[in-house]
Amino acid sequence: MMSLPEPPLLAVRDLRVNFGPVRAVDGVSLTVSRGPFGIGLVGESGSGKTTVGRGILRLVPAAGGEILFEGQDVLRLRGKRLLEYRRAAQIVFQDADNSLDPRMRIGTAIGEVLTAHGLARGGVSERVAALLSEVGLDPALASRHPHQLSGGQRQRIAIARALAVSPRLLVLDEPTSALDVTAQARVLAIVRRLRAERELSYLLITHNLAIVTELCEQTAVLYLGRVAETGPTASLLASPAHPYTLALRSAVPELDQARRRSRIILHGEPPNAAAHPPGCAFHPRCPLAIDVCRVSVPELRAVAPGRQSACHRAEEVLAGLRPPIAAAQLSANPAAEPLP
Amino acid sequence: MKMCFLGGQSPPKPPNRGATRPPIPPGAPWPVKLQVRDLEVRFGERLAASAPALDVAAGEIVGLAGESGSGKSMTIQAVLGLAGTMGATVTGSIKLDGVELTGMSPARLRAIRGRRIAAIFQSPGLAFNPVFRVGAIVTRTLRLHGLSAAQARERAGAAMRGVLLSPDLLHRYPSQLSGGQLQRVAIALALALRADVLLADEPTSALDVTVQAEVLEVLRELRDSRGMAILFVSHDLAVIAELCDRVAIMRAGEVVEQGRTEEVIAAPRHDYTRELLAAVPRLGG
Repeated sequence: MMSLPEPPLLAVRDLRVNFGPVRAVDGVSLTVSRGPFGIGLVGESGSGKTTVGRGILRLVPAAGGEILFEGQDVLRLRGKRLLEYRRAAQIVFQDADNSLDPRMRIGTAIGEVLTAHGLARGGVSERVAALLSEVGLDPALASRHPHQLSGGQRQRIAIARALAVSPRLLVLDEPTSALDVTAQARVLAIVRRLRAERELSYLLITHNLAIVTELCEQTAVLYLGRVAETGPTASLLASPAHPYTLALRSAVPELDQARRRSRIILHGEPPNAAAHPPGCAFHPRCPLAIDVCRVSVPELRAVAPGRQSACHRAEEVLAGLRPPIAAAQLSANPAAEPLP
Repeated sequence: MKMCFLGGQSPPKPPNRGATRPPIPPGAPWPVKLQVRDLEVRFGERLAASAPALDVAAGEIVGLAGESGSGKSMTIQAVLGLAGTMGATVTGSIKLDGVELTGMSPARLRAIRGRRIAAIFQSPGLAFNPVFRVGAIVTRTLRLHGLSAAQARERAGAAMRGVLLSPDLLHRYPSQLSGGQLQRVAIALALALRADVLLADEPTSALDVTVQAEVLEVLRELRDSRGMAILFVSHDLAVIAELCDRVAIMRAGEVVEQGRTEEVIAAPRHDYTRELLAAVPRLGG
């Protein structure tokens, strides 16, 4: 007997989120496979990446589109079903300081989650201790207050809290951008271990492409609420099909001098969702913009197997088209004049 | 317009160096601006930061790398003469152009701080009062350091162009600028005051990588074209590698390794340096 193919864990189609007149998320589609699986959502401040994550969890209302979790229509869930979804899909915020009550001991903060979801049977403190060990922390920390821990430790507590309800989907919203690189490396190592041990799927939201390299099979690059480019992480990084991806890639600081790519500095105003430019949203900052980019909005389309790009010149970029070198941009800058 | 920054003025202009910078020979041809010797910052018995020998010459960027709590920021506070106000005891010698700063009267220090030694910090938002326009904040600071209103306006505009920003942004409120733009306005202020030394304490850690790249570009420009001496604090060795000529690695208040950046990164001698290097996220592909 043939069985029907399983639906993906999460399928988002044409998601829209508005804040008043501001189109924060303007038609985003993405698919999250069953774990272990990671998808990176990459973009600058204002790209809508955080709002996509919150929209998926129904922390902000969607203005349109469809979210299917294991085939269920998330936007129509109510009552008990919604509570079940909240258990299955959890979030870790950027700022662990603000997600932990400063007056509550760590053990209470984690135990509270278990109690709220009716999972307290079988001894809360044993469960809390197990969760702390799972994120590489000493169970004795349960009696501490948040201010007695380092930023990296607090972020690991936030992960333990999210794991308490055994979610199948985790939204990691810039989980390491407030941390030192050393603390960041520890948190990312935990994510890597958990994805294997718990067969987790996660959405990793970040502005740094280097973070998604090892942890995400797929990557979607967002710009002003839309997907600029998406595809398997390795091929997307090796040969971007959108100039914005090129710029993001070149902005990653490199230890190895030989690997430093000629810097693409994006000039002009950063993206502002309250004022969408006409044509391609990226054209005012794009070093490769041509006439068509100023008038016509590029649709997201297939440009190579598994790869999609919303750029009029995607094929050229994929074939190796690059902007002129950054050093030339700088010395040509009119700013290079003497001070009075 | 061609580049000509310092005109015929002193100090001697460092050679304009491009992408491949020649190593700085010992006894550098351009003057040491900031000289730190046997610095120790203590809170009671506890050593918060120490630096046996740290020099920053004109036209050079020196990095201080380490984790939170390693003493990088406390070293900056000591150079600014502010560690004492936090209750720390500072011993040792900090010289600017050969003039001893430790033990200097608060009034004389105030004239140097900001004017000759400028500083930028991690959160540029905190450096700007939200109820004033950016231009008003910049010109007020310039006037406090003795410039006339007309001079202040002129210099503010020119300094904005020096950090690759439009002078029109001076008419905006801080909330109307991005973090990267505000950080560059903070640098413009140092530029307008003709500071010799810029202390930069994690100035890009709160910024997007794209915006970080812009700020690093501006700092390189200040070094190469205006000969500024920059002490740059960061926890990210990749950023240090991209920007700094020399680096000192700090842990638990002490410098564990120090040298030319390429050499320290290519052949780290201390385990802690290796640990910091291993933590840097790398791009695949």
